[in-house]
Amino acid sequence: METIEIKNHQDKKHGITSFFYKWMREAYLPTLTMIFFFVLWEVLIRLLEVPRYILPAPLAIFKEFGKNFPLIWSHTLVTANETFIGFAIAVVVGVPLSICVAFSETLRRTVYVGSVALGMVPTIAFAPLFVVWFGFAFASKMVVVFWVCFFPILINGIFGFISLSDELKYFSQSTGANQITTFWKIRLPAALPQVFLGLKGGAINATIGATIAEWIGGSAGLGYYIQVATGDFNMRLALASIIMLTLVGLLLYFLVVLVEIKLIPWHESQRDNV
Amino acid sequence: MVDEFIRLEGASKCYDSKKGPINAVAPMDLSINRGEFVSFLGPSGCGKSTMMMMIAGLLGCTEGSIHIDGERVVKPQTNIGIVFQNLVLVDWRDVLGNVLLQVEMRKLKVKDYETKARELLASVGLEDFLNHHPYELSGGMQQRAAFCRALVHDPPLVLMDEPLGALDAMTREQLRKDLEKLWMATGKTFVFVTHDISEAVQLSDRVIIISPRPGRVDAEFTIDLPRPRDFNVMQSDKFHHYVKEISSIFMRYGVI
Repeated sequence: METIEIKNHQDKKHGITSFFYKWMREAYLPTLTMIFFFVLWEVLIRLLEVPRYILPAPLAIFKEFGKNFPLIWSHTLVTANETFIGFAIAVVVGVPLSICVAFSETLRRTVYVGSVALGMVPTIAFAPLFVVWFGFAFASKMVVVFWVCFFPILINGIFGFISLSDELKYFSQSTGANQITTFWKIRLPAALPQVFLGLKGGAINATIGATIAEWIGGSAGLGYYIQVATGDFNMRLALASIIMLTLVGLLLYFLVVLVEIKLIPWHESQRDNV
Repeated sequence: MVDEFIRLEGASKCYDSKKGPINAVAPMDLSINRGEFVSFLGPSGCGKSTMMMMIAGLLGCTEGSIHIDGERVVKPQTNIGIVFQNLVLVDWRDVLGNVLLQVEMRKLKVKDYETKARELLASVGLEDFLNHHPYELSGGMQQRAAFCRALVHDPPLVLMDEPLGALDAMTREQLRKDLEKLWMATGKTFVFVTHDISEAVQLSDRVIIISPRPGRVDAEFTIDLPRPRDFNVMQSDKFHHYVKEISSIFMRYGVI
């Protein structure tokens, strides 16, 4: 019988609804792990009597977090702004540029080689220069975020757009389709999984960039605030800010994953909505 | 009465490699008739796939020429359907969408071909799987869909490079039947590349034996068996005789 041949994928729905459903079903284990981690932390701090200026206990951190929430929140908005706008610009510039580079031998030998070389420079080395060039305000932070997001996006994008199986190339040629049709119907969808790998890599880097930039020259934002709090030996406040920073990073990553699920439900990485 | 469709005249292929030139296909003269089911049969690496790619215009001849329907092949041919061993259905489209990709790439009107696509898919038993994605199907079902994609735009010539090579033995048997049925129903010229002797005999009007590299036409067998070639035909002495004759040639090469 033909029906025996189908794998059981057919019952699985794609999309965001099922993503949440699955997430709910599978979230209990990570949640328990997290609770266990915090409880263990709390217990160890109390048992070993670790001074709070070295490492505070979670409860104290959460209390401090609650007390200073308005202030932390205002710094969060600053950082989130830099992170999201820097990332967005990296996407808007990086993805189209990766297409151009993939299709132009000249650009591959110029822009691509130059980008890889620049991308190899440790961001921390460049960040002070950006402050000199773009000032202490928003612009220099955004440029650093752009900088750390741009390279994974560009390099994965190029890789995605130049890789196509010989068979699909031959098939395209045998249809007589022009480059543009081939791009929209075959190359672009085939490249998307790799493009998203770059976007996720960029999203992971984004908050790192924002934090570094704020450390080097800033008067606002979570990175700046962490430094201030650490300077005052207020570890509780520093750790509360780090938690917030993590949440900003996770939110960006989560948004990228949501778009990915929407755009490439067919890809192996999405079929079970991991 | 015999209507020549494809003609190879001294067509050869020589690849340049770092270790010097490799003669893949020796100068070859060959003629394929319209509506014929022809197999290129030879051991792996003998250049039979290269020959098919040359006919498709996807590889150029080093020497000699190829004509299809009187026109010299100088660039990728578009009036063909092509099937490869590796499944080249795209994962982002369902089965029907994959077949219609052929139509869309050619900027033809999808509306005009949708019925045809559905009919073709139904003829190979995929009518209930139109909206399934390739990864939800078995290899055999995917390859059936690939046949439909190679036929939907009604090309006079279908080129197949070991299309059953990646499938298990039982699925292969089923797909041979499907292929014969599609060929009989459409009357198109099929050029079929394989290294499976009984497969070539079962499917073809004519089996062309290609020698080990550099490939050249070593022998030709016109297979005079009734169609459709069902189980009885396959058990006939005549069928076994063809298989034996061809096997002895490959034994002489030392490949089996």
